[in-house]
Amino acid sequence: MSLEYLAINFGIGAILALSLNIEVGFTGIPQFGRVMAVLVGALAAGGLMSRIAAVLLGLPWGVEYAENSARYASAMSTVLATSPLMAITLLIITLILAIALGAIIGYAAAFPALRLREAYLGITLLSFGEILRSILYNYTPLIGGTKGLSIPDVFRFAQGFRSQTAIAFILLITIVMLIISERINRSPLGRAMKAVRDSEIAAEVYGKDIGTIRAYALTIGSAMASVAGALYALFTQTIYAYQFSRYEFTFLPWAYIMLGGVGNNIGVVLGALLFSSARMFIVMYKYEISTVIPIDPVWLEYLLTGLVIVMVTMFRPKGLLPEKPAFTLPRRVIEEISERVKSSE
Amino acid sequence: MLAILFSSITYAAILAIGCASITLLYASTRTFNFAHASMVSWGFYVVFILYRFFGYTPYIYIPIASVVTAVFAILIYLLIIRRLLNLGASEITLMMVTLGIDLILFAILNMVVDILKRNFGVDATKINIVLSDPIIARIWGAPIKYIHIVSIVTAIVLVILLHIFLTRTNLGIAMRASIENPTLASILGIDINIVYALSWFIGGLLAGLSGGLLVLFMEGTTTIGFDSVVYYFAGSIVGGLYSIYGGLLGGALVGVSERFLTFLLSYWIPDIIAYRFAIPMMMLVVTLLIYPKGLAGLVRRI
Repeated sequence: MSLEYLAINFGIGAILALSLNIEVGFTGIPQFGRVMAVLVGALAAGGLMSRIAAVLLGLPWGVEYAENSARYASAMSTVLATSPLMAITLLIITLILAIALGAIIGYAAAFPALRLREAYLGITLLSFGEILRSILYNYTPLIGGTKGLSIPDVFRFAQGFRSQTAIAFILLITIVMLIISERINRSPLGRAMKAVRDSEIAAEVYGKDIGTIRAYALTIGSAMASVAGALYALFTQTIYAYQFSRYEFTFLPWAYIMLGGVGNNIGVVLGALLFSSARMFIVMYKYEISTVIPIDPVWLEYLLTGLVIVMVTMFRPKGLLPEKPAFTLPRRVIEEISERVKSSE
Repeated sequence: MLAILFSSITYAAILAIGCASITLLYASTRTFNFAHASMVSWGFYVVFILYRFFGYTPYIYIPIASVVTAVFAILIYLLIIRRLLNLGASEITLMMVTLGIDLILFAILNMVVDILKRNFGVDATKINIVLSDPIIARIWGAPIKYIHIVSIVTAIVLVILLHIFLTRTNLGIAMRASIENPTLASILGIDINIVYALSWFIGGLLAGLSGGLLVLFMEGTTTIGFDSVVYYFAGSIVGGLYSIYGGLLGGALVGVSERFLTFLLSYWIPDIIAYRFAIPMMMLVVTLLIYPKGLAGLVRRI
């Protein structure tokens, strides 16, 4: 049970940390509204995928679905348990929707990112996240507002191994995300992002359009975070706007990347792993802790997160694994590619 | 109608005091203070706890609450921010470190609440002392409480005091000089460190004051600061982060728009009350799209 808790926290946290790393670590955008893209992903799973499933199975999908989602979702889960093909199709549809919607919202967030800097941009992004969350919390027809919405279980076909399958899938996606991030890190785009971070003027002098690069970073990062949100919603089989808190889905990923090393993909994954392990231990020994000191152990987690952020910034500002220069392709390979491009023209 | 107007002006005054704190800290030390959330919560709870134990009237404990958060603020500056400023940390790093401090202060406050519950039998998980504030008069049926008068008067007095401090006293002029141009100010013999410590002290004082007034205005839990901090941020960003007057103005605008504007709009759009939260946020986004540096351009610097 607690290992499951660790795996899910680590998987989701690592994807979020990687997505944040692209925006914060590579491009230097103070993304304090990570929860916005996560919510959009959860919306793709909860609001859209469950509706598509309901249409396919001939169930009501409009406002009636939001009102009685628990009943319809369990009916759909029963059907999906016997047809793996349909369940996997729905899973893939969810991921595609999450990526598309996340990219759109990230691109939309790029408009203020063109005009605003540092604190102004950070708080604007934070406000975007809060606006979306408060609207989803109050607007009933889409995801049930205060009641939340149940989502059909797309992993039910694995029968007794439901959560193991789900976790394996989430960890698989985490690895894919790590590979993508590392690929971006080594690509010309990644180097352009770092140039924008280090000196906007220098990047501009070398002909890089800062607006485009910031937009790329926000689009890619939001799409990744959106996938994390969709996976989380699929795993918990519910979506409830207040479940996606600012602390857990914006501030914790920030703590992960600060601890691991801003700008280092392996580092941020390590940060997520260390943090999730610490959280797991606090949850595991909850009872023992509360007998020793008369407080709720939940606060220890906040204390730990805060202390880690402060200590890391004070004494190891580059994190556990500092950013390294990214290795590009060997010269020979680059020349080959250039030959190929020339011959194809 | 009138009752809503009074309460929204009161709320606006409380917000404005907090926004002035954020603005002052940003203008002086480039630090966008995320720890403001917990400082407000601490102000909120210190007043409640002292009132719970010693009784009489909550108002006499508000200054104590301000001093408590001011002590926090000065410790934060001396232990952490000063070092990071000397290292030339970026704005994002400074923001992040205050977020860490915020989580620490939040955790400690919750631990205090837990200990109060276990050892003193005081259940402070959700507190409400709004009713201890009596209605002193009615204007056309709209109740007036002490808090309505106290918070508005406090905000006005603060504006006057800050104005006198910043324009008439040597220390205030030194402070403005070091905010405008730290290098030049230190060449002229101003000790920047003392000035910055002083601005953190005043910032903490204002944050605690805002939280202490808030406890008489609404009920809340330990997350009161965490929940309402977005309004404080919105107010200070609307105000422009460069001028304390701008911060006060922005906070007042956000407060009035959240309460009173929503109320007026609800005549046409009845559902809008539920989305009350989104109104100040929308205002923030619109302001920034029109004036990327906030309303500070409209107000004189500092």
